[in-house]
Amino acid sequence: MNRGAPAVSEYGVLLQQVINGLSLGAMYALLALGFTLVYGILELINFAHFNVFMVSSFVGMWALQLLGISGQGQVLTGFALAGALVFAFVATMLAGGVLGVAIERLSLRPLRGVPGTAAMITTIGVSYILFNIILLTVGAGSENYPNPLPVVRWQFGEVTLELKTLLIWGVATVLMIALHLFVNRTRLGKAMRATAQDAEAAQMMGVDVDRVVVTAFFLGSALAGAAALIFGLYYNYTSFIIGYTAGLRAFTAAVLGGIGSVPGAMVGGVLIGLIETLGGQLIAVRWTDVIIFSILILVLVFVPTGLFGRAVPTKS
Amino acid sequence: MLSRRSLIIHLSTTALVGALATHARSAAAADKTVKVGINLPFTGADAHDAELIKDGALLAIDEANAQGGVAGYKIEVLLLDDGTATAGQYDPAQAATNARKMVADKEVVAAIGPQMSGSGKAMSPILSQGDLATITPSSTNPDITDPKFAGQYRPKGKPIYFRTVTTDAFQGPNMANYYADVLKVKSVYVLDDSGAYGVGIADTFQAQAEKRGIKVLGRDQLNPKETDYATTLTKIKSLNPDALYYGGVAQAGVKVVKQASDILPKMIKGGGDGLYGAEILRGAGFPAAEGWYATIAAPNILENPEAAPVIDRFAKKYGQQPENYSITAYDAALVVLDAIKRVAASGKEVTREAVRDAMQTARVKSIQGEITFDENGDLQNRVISVFRIVKDDKYPPEDVLHQYKYLGVAPQSS
Repeated sequence: MNRGAPAVSEYGVLLQQVINGLSLGAMYALLALGFTLVYGILELINFAHFNVFMVSSFVGMWALQLLGISGQGQVLTGFALAGALVFAFVATMLAGGVLGVAIERLSLRPLRGVPGTAAMITTIGVSYILFNIILLTVGAGSENYPNPLPVVRWQFGEVTLELKTLLIWGVATVLMIALHLFVNRTRLGKAMRATAQDAEAAQMMGVDVDRVVVTAFFLGSALAGAAALIFGLYYNYTSFIIGYTAGLRAFTAAVLGGIGSVPGAMVGGVLIGLIETLGGQLIAVRWTDVIIFSILILVLVFVPTGLFGRAVPTKS
Repeated sequence: MLSRRSLIIHLSTTALVGALATHARSAAAADKTVKVGINLPFTGADAHDAELIKDGALLAIDEANAQGGVAGYKIEVLLLDDGTATAGQYDPAQAATNARKMVADKEVVAAIGPQMSGSGKAMSPILSQGDLATITPSSTNPDITDPKFAGQYRPKGKPIYFRTVTTDAFQGPNMANYYADVLKVKSVYVLDDSGAYGVGIADTFQAQAEKRGIKVLGRDQLNPKETDYATTLTKIKSLNPDALYYGGVAQAGVKVVKQASDILPKMIKGGGDGLYGAEILRGAGFPAAEGWYATIAAPNILENPEAAPVIDRFAKKYGQQPENYSITAYDAALVVLDAIKRVAASGKEVTREAVRDAMQTARVKSIQGEITFDENGDLQNRVISVFRIVKDDKYPPEDVLHQYKYLGVAPQSS
């Protein structure tokens, strides 16, 4: 005896979940690119990336607060909105990028060439340091993220589309196209691809490997910065704790897509986002992680290099 | 250690206050101290409310010390934090460690806290083994004091978990009654945050809702570390219940509040005392928090005119307004101080066993009424107050006292 008739049909709700999933997926994809860029070049899983994302979300918040925006009360439109967003994105991405480069320069470059897991463990350590710096300086509460976006909703049949959803899709698409062009069309991009293939050979051919590594860290971390600002604007929320769940999902996305592969990270991110929302709809949200990791394991069993991974000749 | 000068002041105030014969010899003992342990989650999503609770307890203790202590004993506080960075909120494992610390410190004769039931479940077996009684100003999970689970939570037998609030055996069901009787809700969707408190209160709410003929369209468990609850909320939207009930604390709570305001703007939304507090106002903010219902497991003490002097002293000392659980914490400290006083007055040594027994027989006058406990340590006064978040622009947006509008007492099940 269902008194309140369902407001939305089965089909409508699935479509809405696809929209939710694409928004999540866009964020995961941006974040996954950072893992994949660094892994592609150094074969290093950079766990500090989790918290570069988290720190950047705070930088974005401060940037917006600097403009006098707090909470969701003040809404901007037109040029003021565009200006505020551009400023916040530039500030956040720069801060993220610089933080990534600083981590590479201070803690990872001295370990370059040290065999084993020293570098990876270091990134875990750096991650904890960033986490605790924010915890101890900013505090442990949830932050009410400043958001100047007006709440605009369009109703298409049973499906609601929001302005902030379009913003996420737009920003993510533009950044991913830009990255694709950079990697495939520029000299530095070519150097990156060469280093990814064989660092030693690239060096012998005159590629400045240090510069390539710094570029990879900068780009990956700047994309994490963009993801962080999007995250804040989408959820109106940040906290010192956001890095872990988002980071782990994004890392999974990178592995699912084939770690080291740029298109793989994009597709992996979107897939994880869709799995998360559709799994939550069709089964239950408490099973989300079980579903995600089961699919990951299945994919890796049958396609060990991930969906878009290349079979890497073992470097020795 | 007391300096000579403060000793003299102590002696003279004690002499003034303790004109009674029984207190005459305590003047010589004014430098005796006992400790009270306080365990609250100062790290993580509930830190803000934990501070407000701590301040309430400290207010009572500081006031007692300023009057020369309790029956010649100066009260020291052993302050412990059961919130951890890894959990991002209260952490039961840390709470267990803190309980061991209290038990190991021979000077600790009683404890105040914890804030959260998840911590309470971890602490109570350890406290029971150590004969150390604690009194919580806010944790409401009924299992901890339920004789059914005595083997688990008080293996040594005697109640050691007292409360100055009632439990979710009333908080959940009475809110279900409020949904049915006052809000005329016919169908509901229930969420919890996977924590001991959240699951417990959501269970008791759901059971009573079903009993009252409210159709429960679904139940989901949220991972508090997750950020995106849009999936669940979209699912709820498609089922179109009259109302949503969330059992849980602030970490997941602020995100539920925020995202629900986007996805379920018109639905009736409510929860328990996990949604009552500064952290919700601060983290979720307005306009998202507007319209949410919340309960507390105590009378609305702040509205009682008798509370005004305490509120004044609190605001003067700490520079912010108290919330109701600051006052239940104040009351919890009064119960502990009263127990110490009665033990000392009876001429017995102030041991934790003696203090526990004295707490059991407490009859303490407080603003919320006379505090007495049943044979399990639960408060005999069982009142659930209902609030609604309604923005009052005259006050700061994080002011719990003014942004939660008191609606009345939730109907008790007969």
